[in-house]
Amino acid sequence: MPRWGMVIDLDKCFACQSCTAACRMENNTPIAGKNQADMGRAILWNEVLPFVEGEYPNVQTTILPRPCMHCEEPACIKVCPVKATYKNEEGIVLVDYDRCIGCRMCTVACPYAVRYFNWYEPEWPDDLKEHLNPEPEVQPRPKGVVEKCTFCVQRLRKARETAEAEGRTFQTTDYIPACVQTCTGRARYFGDLDDPNSLVAKLAHSPRAYRVFEELGTHPKVYYLKQG
Amino acid sequence: MENSQSQTSKSKLSRRDFLKIGAAAAAAGAGISALRPAEKPLLPQSESQDESIVKTTCALCSSGCGLDVRVVNGRAVKVEGNPLHPLNQGVCCLRGQTSLEVLYSPERLEHPRFQTGKRGSGDWKEISWDEALKLVAEKLAELRKAGKSHSVALLHGELRGQMRQVVNRFMHAYGSPNVISRESLGEGAARLATWLSQGVNAIPVYDINNSNYVLTFGGNLLESSRNLIGTLSATAFMRRGRPQRGKLVAVHPRLSLTGIKADEWVPIRPGTYGALALGMANVIINSKLYDENFVRDFTYGFEDFEDADGVTHQGFKSLVLETYTLDRVSAITGVSTDKIARIAGEFATNRPAVAVMPTEPGEFSNGNALYTAMAVHALNALVGSIDAQGGVILQRFPELTEWPAYTLDGDAQKGEKRERLDGAGTQFPLALSVYQNVPERILRGKPYPIEALFLLNVNPVYDMPNGGQAIDALNKVPFVVSFASTLDESAAHADLILPASTFLEVWGDDYLEGTGYAGISLRRPVVEPVHDTRDPGDVLIDLAQKLGGSLKDAFPWISYKDLITDRLSGFDWEKLEANGNWSELVYFNAEPGSPAWSDVVGRDRLSAPKDGRFDFFSRELFAMLGSDSAPACLPHFEIPAALADSTKDSIEYPFLLVTQPLITQSQQWQGIVPTLQESYGLQGDVKWDSWVELSHKAAEAMHLEDGERVWVESPLNRVQATVRVYAGIWPNAVYLPPGQGHHTFVRWGRKSKENSVVGANPNALTEITSEPLTGLAVSGPARVRIYPV
Repeated sequence: MPRWGMVIDLDKCFACQSCTAACRMENNTPIAGKNQADMGRAILWNEVLPFVEGEYPNVQTTILPRPCMHCEEPACIKVCPVKATYKNEEGIVLVDYDRCIGCRMCTVACPYAVRYFNWYEPEWPDDLKEHLNPEPEVQPRPKGVVEKCTFCVQRLRKARETAEAEGRTFQTTDYIPACVQTCTGRARYFGDLDDPNSLVAKLAHSPRAYRVFEELGTHPKVYYLKQG
Repeated sequence: MENSQSQTSKSKLSRRDFLKIGAAAAAAGAGISALRPAEKPLLPQSESQDESIVKTTCALCSSGCGLDVRVVNGRAVKVEGNPLHPLNQGVCCLRGQTSLEVLYSPERLEHPRFQTGKRGSGDWKEISWDEALKLVAEKLAELRKAGKSHSVALLHGELRGQMRQVVNRFMHAYGSPNVISRESLGEGAARLATWLSQGVNAIPVYDINNSNYVLTFGGNLLESSRNLIGTLSATAFMRRGRPQRGKLVAVHPRLSLTGIKADEWVPIRPGTYGALALGMANVIINSKLYDENFVRDFTYGFEDFEDADGVTHQGFKSLVLETYTLDRVSAITGVSTDKIARIAGEFATNRPAVAVMPTEPGEFSNGNALYTAMAVHALNALVGSIDAQGGVILQRFPELTEWPAYTLDGDAQKGEKRERLDGAGTQFPLALSVYQNVPERILRGKPYPIEALFLLNVNPVYDMPNGGQAIDALNKVPFVVSFASTLDESAAHADLILPASTFLEVWGDDYLEGTGYAGISLRRPVVEPVHDTRDPGDVLIDLAQKLGGSLKDAFPWISYKDLITDRLSGFDWEKLEANGNWSELVYFNAEPGSPAWSDVVGRDRLSAPKDGRFDFFSRELFAMLGSDSAPACLPHFEIPAALADSTKDSIEYPFLLVTQPLITQSQQWQGIVPTLQESYGLQGDVKWDSWVELSHKAAEAMHLEDGERVWVESPLNRVQATVRVYAGIWPNAVYLPPGQGHHTFVRWGRKSKENSVVGANPNALTEITSEPLTGLAVSGPARVRIYPV
């Protein structure tokens, strides 16, 4: 069973936010609109965030694209009172939208702030809903539940189906999330962390590799490679 | 090479930092609404999915990347990059990703419409295409018959592929000289400088993949350059894809994403790039770090020289050594002498090195656009980077099937020879187009009254409002036709709108640009047209048939697809459809002095000799301007009037306004793409709004705090924005992002049918005029003051 993980090379990431847009178009995250966005309620599973330090003219800025870290020891799961959020056998942290009661304990517990509460009904006026991805996994979520990055599980399912239809064994390279596919600097790598020959496993052991808040013991499966 | 932008160590980042960004949600503790399942699924769940991938070419910026569009049951549901396309090689930027929000936008116009009330009244009547085209054809025929064909003008923005020639051909055959491009606002400076120095009429391409040192003056290389994805992937390759890591240095008054992601950011006083480039040339020449062989054998005007009449002229070398000393340049630009010397030294010794001229509007528009661009390009010649690997290269174009010949009828001949409306070639001898001069000339009725105006991919009322001048000009023209797809600010003042289809619904083509090597990319309908719209190419062909005469001869096709098929008939159409594109895939650099060299240096010169020499001293300019013009033929720098201190303006309006495009900005569609709005201001953490960046110093002086609403006011106008106190900005500059503040077509407050203005249009603050010689736009830096709302 693969253990899916991601590596993001900050030296090749140019903060272009293609990942943010690709994620939205793939996963049908709702449009917040101005009023909700002003209240901090925009839902972008894969937002790109700047951290500015220093004073003019010596300014240091780190820009982090932030998907769900798909922790080995996810804080969100520990606090969920109804077992709506869970880790599947391949290490992907998911939410069962039917079980979720919208208590938002997980949004508080997650150290990476990657869990989003649906404060409003999803809404795409007129023809705009035409472009929504029809896969069942990404049906728009109702108001009142929490949602988050899934490493595009629908793509994993489709990749397995395609392999089966073509009569061949599923390879871990058959599947990548939308953000990885579209990354303009090719800064994102995805694959099986348990396969020592995979590129992600090798890069995760690079001297430039680090994980965010490693000290918390959450063991994220998203690694960053330092810039420079 | 040292990396001066060191990385923040991870220990400094706290969870609080994550929560601070867009974190109002955590604070807003409203009651928990009970879980309510969606009443009915939003999406149809059909059993069978008819799924396919359609290859086409993007048209949302000047790149033209290949796209793979996933179509399920007739609906386009996802866009990816075409892996077989050499520009983007399978990846796709956020504009391409969100192009489906353009396709299915509720703001699109669904039918042609005619304004029955006063212009700008908003009293529209939807009409059929037959009626609409009849109206236009009758008007054009009437004007042509009356010998007034020249009084028809067409303003256009970015045109893709064959449309460039189609538009010119149409107007030429109709009998009007007035095809006016928006280029004078932006990329015109780079084009003109390349022509006057290198002798080729082209916007240069930069070979970043092979460069060791990329120095960009202004602009926003990693956010808004032409061929954006090519630039991003080349920069990634320069860093991690090859044994030797190259260095990227960004010069700008503001720390943009390019500055952040560059190896070094060089803050500079707004409007002084030209001085810095000349100061760097001073160091490079003084230290003899330039490419002596190249400069001696393949350039002109480096040393002082005698002209044909025996008059001695100053060369580039002595001009730079005498006039652009380090101390003086440091005083003008605010960059320390040490830093200028170091950057110049690094640039000259880490070859191949390349200096980049921006193409974004406003970047060089300080009254010095031409000479600034020439000064920057002179650096490329100093280090021998002309058509060299890792230097400046030229875009080549494929040979297509010839356009059919046609003869101009008498009507067309008369009109075609008239003076241009914008004054290009007359009032502005060096200009190709002077877009920003059009409203004034229309209002003054010079050189003749304009009877009909076509707007194609342009929005002059937004680009250059000039305090209402653009609107007045539109209202003065008796017949205005817009091809806008949404009711933009200019279309709102048109008589007739012939709504254009989006690129996802039409046939078309695109030249591969930004790679150097020649190529062509195919655009094809991905879905059935969503609305009753047409491609402007089809409309022009239809009009040509209706009008007859030389127009009919010039357009012997039944549709735009027919035209494309004809022009591309030399290609294997099946392969073109299967791959989405064709290209040569290899760029052969021209060896200086070789036969190929004459194609990259001097090719398009008119009066200057085609001797394969790069002109530090522009002989083209000298021939045009006459014998006492020698100082005007060398790159030089005059301090822009707006920078002068202690003037009345500088006291009343203490800040210099800088604008710099963002990656989340879409030229034509800004405002209607919700996901672009929701990722709009990464650096300011601003969505669906504009923000104004102030330095800590300025904010303290005015007692302003982050998040306050302020007015930004120039002598011309004022707009509102939210304050962001930012460490990465020149202390007396303020930054307002361009692209927002559209006021006619954004109604995207949730559940609101009302129009609401999102953000502010910085163009409203700037008085846009024209450089006397070149007709390039002068827009600043504008002076502004700031005070709380």
